[in-house]
Order: sequence, then structure tokens, then C-alpha cells
Amino acid sequence: MDRAASSHDAHLFDPEFLQRLEALSLVSRRRVRGRQRGERRSIARGRGIEFDDYRAYQPGDDYRYIDWNIVSRLDRVFVKLFSEEEDLDVHLLLDTSASMAAGTPSKLVLAKRVAAAIGYVGLSNFDRIGVTAFTSEQGPSLGWLRGRGRAFDLLRFLDGLAPGGRTDLGETLRRHLGMTRHRGLLILVSDLLDPRGAEPALLHACNHRFQTFLIHILADEEIAPPLGGDLRLVDVETGAALEITIDADALRAYAEARDAYLRDIERFCFRHGIDYLRTTSSVPVDTLVLRYLRQSGLVR
Amino acid sequence: MTLGVPAALWGLLALPLLVLLYLLRVRRRDHPVSSILLWQRSAPVLAAFRPSRRIERSLLLLLQLVALAAVIVGLAQPGLVGGTVAGRDVVLVLDASLSMRARDVSPTRFERARQEALTLVARLQPGQRAAVVLAAPHPVVLTPLTGDRRAVAAALRGAEPWDAAGDVAGAVTLASVLGSGTDGRIVVWTDAARGPLPPMARVTYQVLGTSGDNVGITQLRVLRETPRSEALVRVDNWGSSATRTPLEVRLDNVLVYRGTLELPAGGTRAVVFPVSGAGVLHAHVVTRDALPEDDDATAVLASTPLPSVLLIGRGNSSLERVLRVLPIARAVETQTIDPSTWTRFDVVILDGVDPGPLPPGNYLSIGIVPPNLPVSASGTVAQPDIATWDREDPVLRFVDLSDVHIDRALSLAPEGGRILVAGQSPLVWEYEGNGVRMLLFGFALEDSDLPRHVAFPILIRNSLAWLGGGIGDVTVGDDVQLPAGSETAGTLVGPDGRRTDLHPTAGAFVLPPITRAGLYRFSTAAGTRTFAAAIGSAATAGIIRPGPAPEGAMAPQGSLLARGPGTVLVRVPLWPWLLLAGVIALVGEWALATRRHRGDV
Repeated sequence: MDRAASSHDAHLFDPEFLQRLEALSLVSRRRVRGRQRGERRSIARGRGIEFDDYRAYQPGDDYRYIDWNIVSRLDRVFVKLFSEEEDLDVHLLLDTSASMAAGTPSKLVLAKRVAAAIGYVGLSNFDRIGVTAFTSEQGPSLGWLRGRGRAFDLLRFLDGLAPGGRTDLGETLRRHLGMTRHRGLLILVSDLLDPRGAEPALLHACNHRFQTFLIHILADEEIAPPLGGDLRLVDVETGAALEITIDADALRAYAEARDAYLRDIERFCFRHGIDYLRTTSSVPVDTLVLRYLRQSGLVR
Repeated sequence: MTLGVPAALWGLLALPLLVLLYLLRVRRRDHPVSSILLWQRSAPVLAAFRPSRRIERSLLLLLQLVALAAVIVGLAQPGLVGGTVAGRDVVLVLDASLSMRARDVSPTRFERARQEALTLVARLQPGQRAAVVLAAPHPVVLTPLTGDRRAVAAALRGAEPWDAAGDVAGAVTLASVLGSGTDGRIVVWTDAARGPLPPMARVTYQVLGTSGDNVGITQLRVLRETPRSEALVRVDNWGSSATRTPLEVRLDNVLVYRGTLELPAGGTRAVVFPVSGAGVLHAHVVTRDALPEDDDATAVLASTPLPSVLLIGRGNSSLERVLRVLPIARAVETQTIDPSTWTRFDVVILDGVDPGPLPPGNYLSIGIVPPNLPVSASGTVAQPDIATWDREDPVLRFVDLSDVHIDRALSLAPEGGRILVAGQSPLVWEYEGNGVRMLLFGFALEDSDLPRHVAFPILIRNSLAWLGGGIGDVTVGDDVQLPAGSETAGTLVGPDGRRTDLHPTAGAFVLPPITRAGLYRFSTAAGTRTFAAAIGSAATAGIIRPGPAPEGAMAPQGSLLARGPGTVLVRVPLWPWLLLAGVIALVGEWALATRRHRGDV
């Protein structure tokens, strides 16, 4: 992580900001089946404390869960059912391809900050956090973390990530999801600048019944390129070059292509139940987490 | 356009080379981007990636191409070739007839003639002189021979056609006099509608006009009789096909006649209908011909057209009878000579009585010569023949004196004024000056058979109308004078609203030339007099069918200056302008290039 990012991470651990993060929790729209008891409502019903439903008594049920008020009023025997409270598996996938170096600050810096914030929120709520950096190849991966005490491990891992390589979302997700047995919350942080397209990869995640949250980060210069004249555009990931004369008409055409591209992604996510948040790298991380992620329903 | 060095145009092949060099010049800068994905997706929307895009948007390249092309074309020495008139002097003659107002040539024949004349003046070579003659009813020299092009152009711009037939032959003769002794030429713009053009040396005719169809009013007269009057409207069809023409006549905007006239090709119809009262009579025919100016005519129906009269004499029954018949405002007969009472009458008739020195006023003197006039009588002449009379003078209009015999007349010796009727000696003489307007008959009525002729009442009526200032029948081209009396200023307002301030000269207001038909108003402190001017030479002015030009004097179809007779070609070099354009383009390119650091436009 560069010096600017490090200094900004210090801000991430600003006591006031951390205190506000600790008040948040990750939200999963689906009930998930965890592996240990936690603070999250599970699809399993049992010994939790949160009332869930009634059902008729069956032989063998624990007498302690018979609702005697119902018995006295209806003269029939019902037992109360409670939700189990288990932890949540949170899969954080960070795009560290070369294109993530664009922007001021870079898209990767914002991606690491938002991953750190989400991870800290999850650790504070005893969720299991797994972080994987990806390019076209499998990047470094951080094993499952649980508990607030592992926050420094998370930050140390994120601090060591640097941009490089090509983007291949499809291969990354196919490989990662193939190795994962437990479903949970999949948070993908990427610029989605994949020549093969992001849709097949996202569809793959949906098919594995992950609740998927996509954080799409773009640089300001990708929204409105400050370019003009006769240029040879070089793709930092593929090295491919494109000779172009940029004038007002060319910029207008670029804006039309950009809008169509973003509109297609939004529609795809809406159709497939993928939560989608688009931001630019210039947005402060506290604004992104405390306002936009809360509005998007990822945290509350 | 001609080229002095056509081979220089091969240099234009350098233009594509310049474009090629521009394309081949490697100037694209590498610019790393996170992805070219979106740029590639925008390609179908806009062909922003074609190399020619650089050319399309490069103002610098455009300026370079302009500069290079201007220099190369300039080296080819191009020039514009145009015609101008040969010779040192050129006299321009414009037909100012009514028919030149026809709109079959856009905008009108006269305007086209004016524009062509201006073009010719603009092409005159240094040292050439030009003059302008307007072929009005009486030819007018608008500007004599001069080398000042602006003066000639100003004269052309100020020229206007008349509502009358122009005298083209007279104008050409006048032009030949202006240009005599030189090797110049005469260029005439006319429609040749009223007869053949004079075939003269060094004359080129540009005949204008395509159509001959025209229907117009040629006469609108009021025949005043007692107790009622009649109006006469005559309509002519000069076209080649019969037509039905609606006619409306209004008296002060009140309809007094409406009808449709069946007019055969080349035919004439006259309509007579009673009118009463006074006012302005306006006739209008509805046509769709090329000359709308003759579709309207105006006449003034005056309540008392003739002035008050004091008749001093020994009693002349013929004269007294005529005065009783004519529509005179007031007529008094006396034998007493008392000049102090004459001011109460507009006209004083002195019938054979010697009045002594005349005070200012209007007089008809019959058979007597007053002493204070520039005329004297030296005896008498026995049985003088009437050899000639001025039929165009208002006094003698419609007066036929051919069968009139005179037994004895005074032998007049005028020293001024105008002789209207003459035989062995002047018989009728008119004079204006020193506040006196005088019409003098050199014979006594009882010494001639004039009172027994139809001409007599017409002559007396015309005489009283002229003496009393009644303007009477005026046609375009007439010289109109009005007795001033004690008035010192007057204003004339023409049918087009143009105002002219006038001051009397020798006891009379001399009106400017009457060029337009229509209603005129002349105002003085004493009041306003209204008169209508009819189209001059009405029987022929409406003929608009263009005629032929003399053999060998006809300008070619289209442009007089293309290769017409008597024209020469001149070459106007264009290379200085091209050089200027090239320099401007280069300076612009330099300024633009130094302002833009990247060189991108």
C-alpha cells in the first residue's frame, strides 16, 4: 500500500470512525447457515432467543418450550420455535488488476479501504471474513478471520496488495466458488473492466446461491476522460493500443458507450438479484461506508 | 476566366502531397488508460478512429491548403474576361417610355437596362468617357461626356421612365451629336415598341422585352355640358388575343360605372356614361398584363372649370353667346373701362377697346394692341392665310383652323412671348411677364369667319382656361405653367407623393416636367388646385411588343457585353487577390499554430 493509503488507513482507525463502524453490522437478505453460534439469525430453528413460530406439540418435544398461555386459552398444546443465531461467512473479493491503479486516489486504494471497513464491521459482529485478491490469476488470499482481534491481520494483508496483472472475473469466481463449501455473503470490489465482460462471472456467483454485493469503482477520468487531440491509447492491462483523434464528437460517443455499458450492468444486477453500488475513487471511504453502503442495505 | 500560365496548375498536385505528409507525420502521443474497452465500444457510434478525422478537424491543414492553392493558382495568372465598349467615348441611351416599365423582364425593362448600363460603366477603361441620354418624350442629356464614372452612375441611378412614349430616334440623334468627332459608340437600351429604330453607324441596340400583351386605358375625359356632364373612357387591347376586361369608374370612391368590356385582339372600346357633381374621377381596368401602369386613369371633375370673366367691348353677339354657354364661374359685360374693377375678375376680355396701359392681370385682347407690352402693330394685312399653328399648345388643343378665313388683321411685330398662329404675320400671340398674362388675337372677330366654326368655342374655352390658371387637360410631357398672381411660393405634390417647392418666375409658377400620370395637387397660400395628368401619347404609349433592331446593330441575346457589335474584351487580373488570400491564410495559420501548444485544432 502506498504512503498515502497508509496514512489514510490511520484515519480508518480513527477512534471515532471505528466506534461508528462498531455500531454497524453486515446485512444478509438471505438467511444463511453458519458454522458456529453467532449474532446472526440462521435458517436453523432451535435454541436461539428470537421467537420465530409455533407448531403443534409432538412427542419428544422439550416441555420447556410449551406455551402454557396458549394451552390455557385454546386447550391445545403448542411449542414455541426459536431461530438459531449463527455467524456469517463473508467472502471479500478484491480486484487488484493493473487498471485499479487509475484514479486519484487510485481505485485500489478505495477498494482496500472499503474492504477494510467491511471486514472490520464483520469482525466486530463475529462474522467469518475471508479476503481474496484476484487478477487473471489467483492472488494472495487471507484465511478465515473471526473476532475483532483479527482486524490487524486483515489490515496487514490489505496493506500488502499492489496493482498488477489482467482482469479475469470469470476465472477468478469460478476458481474461488469452486473451493468454497459454505455459502454466504459475497462482496466483489472491482472496476469490472474485463474485456470478456463481467456478466458471466456474476451469473456464476448467483448460480452458487451466494448473496452477491457488487461494489463497482470507477476513476473520475474513466467517467469523463480529460483527453483531446491525436492520441495512442494504451491499455495498461493488455498493452493493446488504439489510435484515436479525440474531439467533442469523440467524447460524446465515448459518453454514450459509457452510459450504455453502465446501464447494461445495472439491468443485469437487477434481474439477477445482485446488489449493486457504483462509486468513484474520489468518494471518501467514510461517506461510502456510512452513507452509501447503509443506503444500499449492506450494513445497518 | 482565362489563365496566363495554365501549366502552373500542375502545382496543384502538391495539395494531396501535403495531405499525405500531414497523415504520415507521426504525432500521436502514447497515453496509458486503465482500459480501452469503452473507447472500442464507442467506435460504431462515431468514426473517430479514421485517419481522415484528423484532416476533417484540422484548421491548420485547411489554412495551409488554402495558402498553397492560392499561390499555385496565382502563378497560373488567372483573369476575368469581360466585355466593354470599344472606342474612346460611349453614349448610353435609355428608352424612358412607359412601355419600359413592363415587367416581362425582371424586375422591369427599364431596371434591367439601368443595371446593364451600370455594368458597362463599371467596365469602362481608364481614359474612356461616357454620357447618358434619356429617351423621354423630349430627349434629355442627363450627363454630358465625362470621365467621372461616379457622375455617370449617379445619372443612371437617378433616371426614371416617363408615363409617355419616348423619342428614341431623337435621343439617338442627340447622342450622335454628343459623340460626334470621336470614335466612340452609342449603346441604346430600348424595347423598340413604337416603330423601327434608326439604323445609324456606331450604334448598338439592346432590345428588351418578351411580351406584347397589354390592355390599358388610353383616354378618360369629362365632357362638360349643361345641365349634365358625360365621362368617356377608352380602353385599348394591344395584345394578340381577345380578352374580357372589367372596368370600374369611381367618383371620389363612389362607384359611378361598372362593366365588362369585350376587347378583340388589337381592338378598342369606348364607354360613355353620365356623371354629375365634382371630384376626382378614377377609372380602373382589371388585367394581368405586364404593364399595370396604364390600368388606372384619373381625371378631375371640377365644379367650375373656367374663371370669372369681365367682357369689355362694343357688343359682340358671338362672343357673348359663347360666354353664356361655357361653364364660367361669373361673366359680366360692360363698355366702361375702369381698371380698378378688373381685379375682381380672373380674366378681362378686351374686345376692340383700347384700355391704355394694363395693370397686372390676365387678358384676352381681340383686335387691339395694349401699349405696355413687347408687341406693336404696324398697319394691317389683308386676307392673311393661316399657315401654321401650334396644335400642342393648350390654347390650340383640339382647335382646327384650317378652314378659317380672315379678311383683315393687324401686322403684329412681337418682341417676345410666343406666336401660336401665324400667316403672313403673327395672328395669335401669347405673353407672360411683369405680372401680365396676355393672349392677343391680331384680328377682330367680325373680320373673320372664325365665330362660325366649331373651333371658336373651343378656342375661347382653351384661352380662358389658360388665362385663368385653370390647368385643364394635362398629359405627361406637357410644360405646365400657372399664373402666380400675388403668390410667392407654392408646393406641388405628385401622384407618388413627392413634394416640390416652387417659386414664381416672371409672374408664373413653372412646374417641373410632368413625368408620371395621375393626380397632382398644387398648393399656395390662396388654396389648392388639383389636376390630373394623363399618359402622354396614349394611343401608342401602351404598345409594349418589342420590335426589331436594325440589321447589324443588334446586341447578342443575353448580354450586350458578351460579344456584341462594337465591344472589346478586357482582362482583369486576379492574381493580386489570390496572393492576398494566400498571405492571409498563412498569417492565420501561423497565429493559430503559435497559440496552440499541441498543434491540435
